[in-house]
Amino acid sequence: MRNISGSVFGTRTVLITMSWIPVMLAINKNVCYVAKIEGTSMRPTLNPDEITHTDWVLLWKWGAKNAANLRHNDVVLFKAPTNPKAVYCKRVKGVQYDTVQTRHPYPRDIASIPRSHIWVEGDNAFHSTDSNNFGPVSTGLVLGKAVAIIWPPTRWSSSLSKSLGREDIRVNHFEL
Amino acid sequence: MSPAVDLWLKSGSFALRSFCLIHIIHSQFYEFTETRGESMLPTLAADNDYVHALKTYRDGKGCQIGDCIVAVKPTDPYQRVCKRITGMPGDVILVDPSAKKGSSLDGSAFDSFIRVPPGHVWVTGDNLSHSLDSRTYNSLPMGLIKGKIVAANDFNKPIWRNGVLLGFRTIDNTYVDEG
Repeated sequence: MRNISGSVFGTRTVLITMSWIPVMLAINKNVCYVAKIEGTSMRPTLNPDEITHTDWVLLWKWGAKNAANLRHNDVVLFKAPTNPKAVYCKRVKGVQYDTVQTRHPYPRDIASIPRSHIWVEGDNAFHSTDSNNFGPVSTGLVLGKAVAIIWPPTRWSSSLSKSLGREDIRVNHFEL
Repeated sequence: MSPAVDLWLKSGSFALRSFCLIHIIHSQFYEFTETRGESMLPTLAADNDYVHALKTYRDGKGCQIGDCIVAVKPTDPYQRVCKRITGMPGDVILVDPSAKKGSSLDGSAFDSFIRVPPGHVWVTGDNLSHSLDSRTYNSLPMGLIKGKIVAANDFNKPIWRNGVLLGFRTIDNTYVDEG
């Protein structure tokens, strides 16, 4: 008798645990997520020394697609416009309706950013595939904002908000 | 714990789990949803038309020229659009020479050929004269594609006619290779 009730209890526990899987998936998809950073384009802010460790960041997803919530110097992860399977991590250098100064290989000197788009660049500006290659990015592709480094523990104190790429590249409309 | 609180907690947790399960199914596998707007006439009616969308085609996985897709609008991430793919990555597109006449816009931009960049598709509505699509906002990144529309039910139609429930029909690939 104990055996039978034990196995029933076991199945019940498994089913209840499984019923929480969609909740976990929904939170990871829409609220927050822990993402691994690959590549060197955000060096030295992220992955300063890739040989010893890679950084894991806490990604805040709630409302990150809303252009009004994205500000200059935010670090964002987004689906690459040129390849939907790749995820890029860059810093926001211009928000919607801004005008920014571009650099090679962008075909024009100055770019205007349309509604609900952002201009992104890597902190390691000269080893980065960014908006200077593929233009402004629709905020619909943004997966989330990196808010803190959570692994490894030695990197807990480092800040993501300090911009280390090019200086402020926005162009004042009155100067044009 | 009082029985009332216990009951509230139990129903709350059940509601949360059901809501999340439905959300995951809607975003990852299948969704049945209303469409509005004239841009896909005559394929889809302007209102009261409901579509069956397969979300396994999200991010443009397996999408081909001629497929009817649902995507996030590039200029507003909280709006979705339903369009047909009329150009795949690498294809050369003539934007829209008919936009020249009577338009205040720069006509030469519309009367030119462009190449669809990698990872993008060219999308247009079936009702070209009443559609805001790639001709305005340029190629659409595949990452914005949320699913492919495979069938539709028209709620303007009677519930049952000629063995068809609520005007059910499949939405097929319309591409004709003339080459």
